[in-house]
Amino acid sequence: MLRFALRKVARAVAVMLLVTFATFTLMYGNGRGIARGVLGVDATPAAVQAEVVKLGLNQPLVVQYGKWLRGVVTGNLGTSFFTGQPVRSVLSTRVPVTLTLIVVTLALAAVLSVLIGVAAAVYGGWIDRVIQPLSALGAAIPAFIIAIGLVFAFAIRVRFFPATGYVSPNQSITGWLSSITLPVLALLVGSIAAAASQFRGTVRDTLSQDFVRTLRARGIPESRVIFRHVLRNAAGPGLTVLSLQTIGLIGGAIIIELVFALPGIGDLSDTAAQQGDVPIVMGLVLVTTVIVQVVNLLGDLAIAAVNPKARMS
Amino acid sequence: MRRTRRRTLAALALPAAVAAIVSISGCTSASTASGTTQAAGSGSKGTLTLGMSQDIYGWDPANQPSYQNWAGMAVYDQLMICNAQGTPRPDIATSWALKPANLGVTLHLRAGMKFTDGSPVNAAAVKASLIYAAKNGAGALRLAGLTIATPNSSTVVITLAQPDPLLTARVLCSATIASPKFLASGQVNNSPDGSGPYTLDSAATIRGSVYTFTKNPSYWDAKAFPYSKLVLKVLTSDTAMMDALKTGQVEGALVSANDYNEAKASGLNVIEMHGETTRLLLTDHLGKVIPALGNVDVRRAINMVFNTNEMAADLYHGLAAPADQIFRPGSAASISGLSNPYPFNVAAAKALMAKAGYANGFSVQLPYLQGVGLDQLLPYVIQQLSLLNIKATQVTLSGPNAITELLSGKYPMLLWPLGNYADSRADIYDYVLPTGIWNVEHQHDATVAKLWNQILTGTAQQQAAAEQAINRYIIQQAWFVPMAYPDLLYAHSPSVSIPSVSDPDALDPQLWDFK
Repeated sequence: MLRFALRKVARAVAVMLLVTFATFTLMYGNGRGIARGVLGVDATPAAVQAEVVKLGLNQPLVVQYGKWLRGVVTGNLGTSFFTGQPVRSVLSTRVPVTLTLIVVTLALAAVLSVLIGVAAAVYGGWIDRVIQPLSALGAAIPAFIIAIGLVFAFAIRVRFFPATGYVSPNQSITGWLSSITLPVLALLVGSIAAAASQFRGTVRDTLSQDFVRTLRARGIPESRVIFRHVLRNAAGPGLTVLSLQTIGLIGGAIIIELVFALPGIGDLSDTAAQQGDVPIVMGLVLVTTVIVQVVNLLGDLAIAAVNPKARMS
Repeated sequence: MRRTRRRTLAALALPAAVAAIVSISGCTSASTASGTTQAAGSGSKGTLTLGMSQDIYGWDPANQPSYQNWAGMAVYDQLMICNAQGTPRPDIATSWALKPANLGVTLHLRAGMKFTDGSPVNAAAVKASLIYAAKNGAGALRLAGLTIATPNSSTVVITLAQPDPLLTARVLCSATIASPKFLASGQVNNSPDGSGPYTLDSAATIRGSVYTFTKNPSYWDAKAFPYSKLVLKVLTSDTAMMDALKTGQVEGALVSANDYNEAKASGLNVIEMHGETTRLLLTDHLGKVIPALGNVDVRRAINMVFNTNEMAADLYHGLAAPADQIFRPGSAASISGLSNPYPFNVAAAKALMAKAGYANGFSVQLPYLQGVGLDQLLPYVIQQLSLLNIKATQVTLSGPNAITELLSGKYPMLLWPLGNYADSRADIYDYVLPTGIWNVEHQHDATVAKLWNQILTGTAQQQAAAEQAINRYIIQQAWFVPMAYPDLLYAHSPSVSIPSVSDPDALDPQLWDFK
């Protein structure tokens, strides 16, 4: 298991280096445009050139990337070209908001999709017939459309929830719950839809296997058969879908943050990329790559823990 | 089996119960927000909450935005405040005397003003701020030639190396004054240190999301700012902005023309401002990049294929006025009563193209940048140009180099909504002079140079006459295709009163306009 984990960690580090270098390469060569953006449109050519040098954008690509990488290792991600804020400080306020959305959505999606998938597989009949088209519908409607509908229904027509804004849990727990409910619901629909149908299919397949018949024949309670034996065998594909969902949720959360004006990484990513705020963009890419790699790693480890055969692959 | 079903149902019911609890707490929260709005509307003048469609860069006095600058207005003062006509009134400077021929000014400063750090707002502080602005930010070019003397703590004498008719508009009414200690700290973006009507409440501020300010009780003109607290919320999405307006989360914000009907239907008041003129800029007057554009008949023909009345009515859905000149109506350069010098006439335009030897037209690239409001306009312009066999193709610019490329001279024909100013000398400076950033080919013109010299050194009457002469000249030479004065919209709750908009750029209400 340790060797398995080390192999996965090494792969994650390689992916992070590749992704960050590719991003740096894409951002390279815009020095004068970035400097003009910092100084304003009527900056003189001499002032622009001086700013290019000041920001270090005149140096070769490998030198710039090497400096950035050294900073990462020492915990210094640089400062924003435009606001002068340390990137770490910016990320420390923005990333938790996005992560909150993702983690809460994922936790609810995991529980609810298992329950819905099991209910559809075990009971079949009308429950299955209702859940299946609803799953397809939920997966087909983009999250931002659901978000707009939720805002109209529960923030404008019936003022149960705030239409925009974010309240930190440090300020108010109820305010925090209130501020994330609609964004989480908007993300949740698609996540549940995708994972529930996956769980339904794998649970159905597992239920038809011989060992389940044997367990039932031995008189083991049905709940134990399903939640202890069937689910364990059916967990692999479901966990894979959930880990993929997490990666998809990063993209989804960025759009949802714009609709609800949440101060996460969504708006920051857009603005920083347009401006060419290299330190901010690189910080965001690093964080999202780490999140994706960690989720992949945890997903692989969880699957390996549940199903020893997976460790061999 | 029954037990399993009960457990499953219980598990499904749990999130529903949580949602119900959250709904109730959300209900409480919404009621509180609503209560705040009502309190503000009932005359208590408690909190004013405004939406901003873009974040500020930070608190650097030399890098404050040119519009939606409520954060900067809250914490910083200028030397003077220019009104909607560009006329200055006192702020830090209580009186002033401009030197002849636009060569400088002597300022007398208000006594007793202090920065947040307790240091005095005096001549030394004003000098430090102007020197800082000369070395940093967008104003550096304009401020570079200043010499500043401080004969005593309440007098500042600014002398210019070259005449600058925009000294009042672009220096005295726009340079922000901050504490010298703060400017020297190297930490100008972290938190402000000005002398403005409000101070930043850092504890209630989340950078990039919400900025909270409390009233400065010792401000010299405190009565002009009736609200004890100011909250600015960053809402970059149009949808989020409208939702926040409709639910009372913000009490005022700029909205797009697409949201006009929704804003009115939601009971919001909408103010219309006309600080922009949409125009086609034909900057290659000498035909160096596109030879055809060097022919005045071609430029006039291009003017004649646009029906500005129909554009205002159809493309802008009535939320615009047709434009016959680039300057703001009422400004010094504007010619009142001007009838369209190039009325819509495609046949006559084609004849002009043939006369100029360009009956077969030419090819041109028109740059496009998302978010500038060209989405409906650009296809129409391309279509109308095709009537003259001018093959215009859209080139989408994006990313950090977009503006640099746009202004590089690579595109001698630009479709752009650009500001029209209370002081029309600023329009001439930016759009007509060879040094103007939007005169992207930077081509010299002897007539314009002679008239600009008259503006630099002439009497007030001579300056006004020269401005009008420049306007007549560029109309006659067809340097632009003026199209429309689009309505710029500011929606606000009826609980907030905005008797007038005093912005010289006519882009948004100023902080002191909120009553």
